[in-house]
Amino acid sequence: MNRMLARTLVVLGFAVFAGAIAACGDGEDGADSGGFASGEPVEGQKKGGTLKVTSNADVDSIDPGQAYFQVTYQATYATQRPLYSYRPGNTDEPVPDLASAHPVVSPDGKTVTVKVRPNVRFSPPVDRAVTSRDVKYALTRGFFPSVANQYVGTYFGDLEGAQAVSEGKTRDLAGLQTPDDRTLVMRFSTPIGPTAARALVLPASAPVPEEYARAFDAKKKSDYGFNQVATGPYMIRSDAKGKAVGYVPGRKIELVRNPSWNGSASGDYRPAYVDRVDWTIGANPTVAGRQVINGSGMVSGDTVPAPIVKLAATRHKAQIAFSPLGNRYITLNTALAPFDDPDVRKAVAAVVDRNALQLARGGRLTGKIATHFLPPGIPGFEDAGGLEGKGHDFLAKPAGDAEVAAGYLRKAGFADGRFKGARISMVGTRDDRGSQIVLENVRKLGFDVNFRNLSQEAMLAACATPSSKVHVCANGGWLPDFNDGYAMLFGPFSGKTISPEQSPNWSQLDDPRINAKMDAAARLTNPAQRAKAWGEVDDMVTATAAAVPTYWDDVPLVQSKDVQGVVARWNAAWDLSFSSLK
Amino acid sequence: MAGYVARRLLWVVALLLAVSAITFLIFYTLPSADPAAIRAGRQPTPELLAQIRQNLGLDEPVYVQYWRYMKGVVLHFDLGFSYASDAPVRDQILDRLPATISLTAGAVVVWLALALPVGLISALRRRRWQDRLAMGAALVAISAPVYWLGLVALYLFSKDLGRFPIFEGANTYRPLTDDPAAWAASLLMPWFVLAASFAAFYARLLRANLLEVMSEDYIRTARAKGVPERRVVLGHGLRPAITPLVTILGLDIGILLGGAILVESVFNVPGIGRLAYDAIRQADLPMIQGTVLFGAFFIVVANLLVDLAYAWVDPRVRTA
Amino acid sequence: MSLTEPSLEAGGVPSSGEVVARSARQLFWRRLRDDRVALVALAFLCVLFVVAVAAPLVVDVAGAPPPERQSTEALDDFGSPTGPSAAHLLGVDELGRDVFSRVVYGARVSLEVALLSTGIAVLVGTAIGMAAGFYRGWVDTVLSRLMDVLLAFPILLLGLGLASACALGDGCLGGIVRPGISTVVFVIALASWPYFARVVRGQVLSLREREFVEASRAIGASNLRIMRVEVLPNLAAPIIVYTTLIIPTNILFEAALSFLGVGVQPPTASWGQMIAEAAPIFDTAWWYMVFPGLALLLTVLAFNLVGDGLQDALNPKTDP
Repeated sequence: MNRMLARTLVVLGFAVFAGAIAACGDGEDGADSGGFASGEPVEGQKKGGTLKVTSNADVDSIDPGQAYFQVTYQATYATQRPLYSYRPGNTDEPVPDLASAHPVVSPDGKTVTVKVRPNVRFSPPVDRAVTSRDVKYALTRGFFPSVANQYVGTYFGDLEGAQAVSEGKTRDLAGLQTPDDRTLVMRFSTPIGPTAARALVLPASAPVPEEYARAFDAKKKSDYGFNQVATGPYMIRSDAKGKAVGYVPGRKIELVRNPSWNGSASGDYRPAYVDRVDWTIGANPTVAGRQVINGSGMVSGDTVPAPIVKLAATRHKAQIAFSPLGNRYITLNTALAPFDDPDVRKAVAAVVDRNALQLARGGRLTGKIATHFLPPGIPGFEDAGGLEGKGHDFLAKPAGDAEVAAGYLRKAGFADGRFKGARISMVGTRDDRGSQIVLENVRKLGFDVNFRNLSQEAMLAACATPSSKVHVCANGGWLPDFNDGYAMLFGPFSGKTISPEQSPNWSQLDDPRINAKMDAAARLTNPAQRAKAWGEVDDMVTATAAAVPTYWDDVPLVQSKDVQGVVARWNAAWDLSFSSLK
Repeated sequence: MAGYVARRLLWVVALLLAVSAITFLIFYTLPSADPAAIRAGRQPTPELLAQIRQNLGLDEPVYVQYWRYMKGVVLHFDLGFSYASDAPVRDQILDRLPATISLTAGAVVVWLALALPVGLISALRRRRWQDRLAMGAALVAISAPVYWLGLVALYLFSKDLGRFPIFEGANTYRPLTDDPAAWAASLLMPWFVLAASFAAFYARLLRANLLEVMSEDYIRTARAKGVPERRVVLGHGLRPAITPLVTILGLDIGILLGGAILVESVFNVPGIGRLAYDAIRQADLPMIQGTVLFGAFFIVVANLLVDLAYAWVDPRVRTA
Repeated sequence: MSLTEPSLEAGGVPSSGEVVARSARQLFWRRLRDDRVALVALAFLCVLFVVAVAAPLVVDVAGAPPPERQSTEALDDFGSPTGPSAAHLLGVDELGRDVFSRVVYGARVSLEVALLSTGIAVLVGTAIGMAAGFYRGWVDTVLSRLMDVLLAFPILLLGLGLASACALGDGCLGGIVRPGISTVVFVIALASWPYFARVVRGQVLSLREREFVEASRAIGASNLRIMRVEVLPNLAAPIIVYTTLIIPTNILFEAALSFLGVGVQPPTASWGQMIAEAAPIFDTAWWYMVFPGLALLLTVLAFNLVGDGLQDALNPKTDP
């Protein structure tokens, strides 16, 4: 399951992603851009009070070692301190959080060394200082079958001995060494170090006390999440034994101050203004949006639907902020006929009406029409052509180009420019109107389509399982795990990620040139070189038309009048440890 | 009587076993769900998948899994763990139960308060305008889809979105123990919406039963003796006409306690119905299993209680 | 309510009044002719049938675009749908599709699913009910227990589960139940046949003791012949009445499944699905919620009125 899930997990459809005017001041939104909330921290924010969060979606997992959704990270980053993290307004450069300095990567790219701060303490009942061994255990447990973290395999799977841990042979990860309380040395069998170092912003690097968590992790399914201890400014309300009674699945999360947290004394940059966070889950998005806008002390916990964007953007501008994140695309299965033919794929890419797709998500405010895959703000975006793209003819017209499409079909051997052939299968989600637009577009080319509108979960299962032989997935999308081209492109487009189940590469694109180029780009340390290399990878992927880039989201977020909301731009969500009441 | 009760209890157990077995089979074959893959994260190695399958007991034949599940249910009242949240299914169902009970109880009060007088008056004023109006309205209420009625009610009367902001809208549920006033306020609209078609149905039923009873001989006798019509109806007719309603009431309560999916969805009441609906959406097998079993339990027990009550009243039933 | 129908938290069989075997045919027709309300409802249903069958023509004559045509021009800058206008009589939905045209086409799905599923339920229910009532003994025990098991399920949950399980790949039962309409029909038929079977069984139990059956048996007629010649014709009246009562329930059932997202697949228009799509924007796009809901309400109401009329006309106890 990808981080994509996080964003699209809106139950009642009409996921609308409003425009990131504020963040990326590109000209096209200029006229409307005035007056929206900036989402930046301001001087003299008020301390105290309770912030109320309301979301439709539940967290994917309350366990910081499993958490992977955008929604979840709001709680995770308020309660846990990973080695590195992004300040709310800055997506470019992570700052040392639990770590005391930037990671050191060896010249061969196979060793990463990290120093851990003193003075950081776990919340009760553990209540002791954090050491590098706690970080080692946190990363190690990610490989336990009882924990099964979603991403450690991708970024840390090349740690020496990681395989043995995930097969349950040992509970000691040989590639992680702790020469002293402050030092963690990571040894990889491949030169993945530069990429792995960037992935240390993910919450799997937040410390976990082994002596306390061992018993929970030894169960068939770890329930450490329901008994977790915190290192961040807040913790899930818990009883004396440490049971996290403040989290009721599908209902609520209560965050209270972590008594062991000592703020700047332990090098934490989070101001943590509010005393409490009361988060309700399962709210109807439209009703919740209204309640936030008309109510007091509230912020939206997940995506705000179109009617609310319209309401706020026209009448309550100061209560809505936009934050760009991730991309969306339509995947065409390159392993299945007729999409094994690049010309047929390009015909589909050419006919898709991206204007209509934009409108279906809420119009220009909620995002920009994509011309390639790396979204604005991710290094390599400009190298891949910026907003305009590199001018591939099948992506030239946002409203679709029937002539170009017919041309590619003729090239593919269909003399009259219309497709003729066996029925293809296409999967969309109930929550997304865009699927039905894609369906209409594809039918225009003459395709006979077996269309299935599924729940988000069923759609993911169908698209990520090659044996289910889905030709077109109308609802692809990706959020970056960190601010880097690798985190955007490797999962969905490297041939190395194809697997029989839960394969993130829905297109099943396996192009040796692209694979090699990605591997080379992953090893680069110099930021400029790295950006250029990933920009080139992006264009190579775009040129295959294995997927049709449709949209770069600008996520709309709403707040009550009396809330000074601060946006965590790396996550395109409110930052609970920076937002305050007015 | 003891023998009869024992036989019935045995049958209840058999029914629940059958329901759980069928549910297990249906959802076991649900093609969208490989719980191991969902847990494993992206591009899992086959070894990891195998390890997780073994941990979750998914590598065993379906009848072994079923056996283990039922053993847990019977011996420890353990319904397993949700695949979606990893939390115990039993705890989540019990957490949702108060909301569902609140919704059901309030709706029952509302619909009886509406149905009894309306049914009675309709029968007394048969074929007059009161009767026609009431029965016409009842038929409309029966014909309206409940979720649509809910949306219309929200559109008209909810405080946050309504044209006439009078009642608390969706998303406002508060537990009774937190704040009784807020609890009642938040449930007022759901109660009425859920009660509408039931009230209509019960009113029609009461009217029909009353009319039926009124044509019985002993009523004619009473009339012939010159007892006033009002006393005839209230004194002699009402009791036998209401008895079948009590039966149906028992069964309806049983069904509703299993969760009112539609009303809970529209008004976002965190009850068992919503829990079940979310579970199906997420292909969360243990949760589906738990909620279906729970729902069936209430239905079957309601049936049992109604039958026992009948047997108590009428000994002939026991030998049937 | 639960005695006679699958509870959808609402809606349902308007009356559980005893269905009595047929009276004189003329009396029946005279009574039906005098029931003006039922006749109006019947006329409405006839119109609805014609509209459903001739949907393309109706839409064309009304000058509306076809139901699946998307139009970005009918949306505002935020992608919100626009309301009733000259171009779109009842407004458009979130993809700029014409609501009038979708409501008209929605009638097709509603009627098709309700009639097909009810038809199947009647056939299966009658056959099984007759077998159980006629042969009694172990046949009756087995069949009745089977009905009990089905009736013990929370029916909407079962329907939801089955429908989502069958919505993928090759569907259920080795491909017999394909994803799409056939899944919905299957689920609804499965849920409603036991109610039929119960009614039929009860009727047969009493019929088989009657003199004409005894007589037939005395002259050596075979069981099958007795069932076909003596029993079946006498079941016609109750079956017809019960059918008219269960059709509206099944219409609501289909709409509920579509509302919960497991019914008919888009872009095919279905009333329940349209209400579901309207639910999140009902406060800004009232037309999208109101018109499909009204269509549903009127259709169900009409069926209920006709059912009521038939029942009254067939019931000799009702004084004209």
